[in-house]
Amino acid sequence: MKDLMFFDANCRVGDFGNANPGVKELLSDMDYYGVDKALVRHNGIPKAPLSTNQEIARMLREEDPDQRLTGVWCILPNSCDEIPEPDEFFRQMKENRIGAITLSPFEHRYQPRRIVIGKIMDAAAERKVPVLLDAFAGQWDKLYDFLEIFPKNTFIYAENWGKWGSDRNIRPLLETYENFYFEIARYWVPEGVRGLAEKYGAERILYGTNFPAGNQGNGMLQLKHSGLDDESIAKIAGKNLERILKGAEL
Amino acid sequence: MSECIWNQPGSLAEKFWKDGKADFPIYDMHGHMGAHYAIYFKICEAPEMVAHVKRIGVKRLVFSHHEALWGTFRNARVYEICKQFPDTLRMYLSIVPQREDHIREDIAQFDKWAPYAVGLKLLPGYHNCDMMDPRYDYALSFANERGLPVLVHTWGNDPAVLKAIQKYPNAKFFIAHCCYGAWDYAIQCVKESNNNVWLELTAIPGDRGIIEKLVEGVGSERILYGTDMPWFDEYQGVGGVLSAKITDEDKLNILSRNPERILGKDF
Repeated sequence: MKDLMFFDANCRVGDFGNANPGVKELLSDMDYYGVDKALVRHNGIPKAPLSTNQEIARMLREEDPDQRLTGVWCILPNSCDEIPEPDEFFRQMKENRIGAITLSPFEHRYQPRRIVIGKIMDAAAERKVPVLLDAFAGQWDKLYDFLEIFPKNTFIYAENWGKWGSDRNIRPLLETYENFYFEIARYWVPEGVRGLAEKYGAERILYGTNFPAGNQGNGMLQLKHSGLDDESIAKIAGKNLERILKGAEL
Repeated sequence: MSECIWNQPGSLAEKFWKDGKADFPIYDMHGHMGAHYAIYFKICEAPEMVAHVKRIGVKRLVFSHHEALWGTFRNARVYEICKQFPDTLRMYLSIVPQREDHIREDIAQFDKWAPYAVGLKLLPGYHNCDMMDPRYDYALSFANERGLPVLVHTWGNDPAVLKAIQKYPNAKFFIAHCCYGAWDYAIQCVKESNNNVWLELTAIPGDRGIIEKLVEGVGSERILYGTDMPWFDEYQGVGGVLSAKITDEDKLNILSRNPERILGKDF
């Protein structure tokens, strides 16, 4: 019997130039594989951050009646008044079942520095709102710079490109930033999940899949038989992400 | 939630979820060994690799050593490693096209290295050539004459793959990574072959819907399981096969039956 609650930290839905799976397909896969909940962002964030913020809210409202999904919104610099002031932004997030934020500074052509996004990032740090780092996939120098600027934020390194084989870049971040969480989609290092959890604590590791490119089943068995104790496995499977999202003061 | 893949009563997925292994042998047909200059491995030497694969029930891990592929040591050393784990390890002779002298010397030892040496490993892209490169001809002719397995690294659409498959119709080609991304071309390679091609799954069990596409395209009898061990975790790889939307018969073919059909139960 599947005896664990799984909360997928790395899912994307919605059209982005082609027919990508939506909420219906995600929920169907979750039922098939036995994934209970998912943190979901829109595929189109790189090209349409503001409209996809609204679209992911609509999808959750209209297509997820059992409320198994939690949304992610993309931030932009406050200077251009494209998003509301932080208090209002977070109020709207809560109202729309949005639990985390992401950013795409390279696509959206701004510098991820304090004078540009410090206001919203500092507010997110104060409120413990998790920040996804998918835009930094494999760009280790930029990621290192970014974390040096914002060391107090809660970060989730959720992406599908640069994790496997990159422990020499990942581990210093786990060592240095206590609120840096590592999501394991495509982290296929043999015995690697156990290795990270034993060294940095199971509290720092999150189950994720990169749906729709990745399937949700392979990482479930990898975690289940990782060799970790049951409590650690349960934390990685879903309890950690649940705790992080509940801890956000929206 | 009660009907999820891991809860299907009597299914292979349920068995592995509960027990971590099943009562049939798994054959991992694509392994390596040894450290890698650019990649972190938690485990990469024979004792810990064998312990890892045995935990899930892998009966044979067929591998080519990284350093033999880089040309920094010879296949004879790989044979010595295999002898230390005779119940688990089998080897592909690493073929480095830049060392034609080594190719001839090592192939001359092939029978002496029985039962550990079961085939050849080609890494064309890494070696800056393609499968039709004349420097491969001696090795591929040998495989063709003997009907030996040739595990060949593929990625994307490389026209030389199909040409070589057709040029050496008696060699048994294992198409590593299924021409990753060029799935229709991989299927074409099977269909336009002399029944001498199998698609090998390394790097694919994490993808969504690809195993299903390949099974539909060529049938599960033409698909082999592999992990690039120590690159990818056995439970991750097997987990991707077990949770794919295919039948348990398909899963058994991929994980267990097909290598036995090709090489026999006691290879």
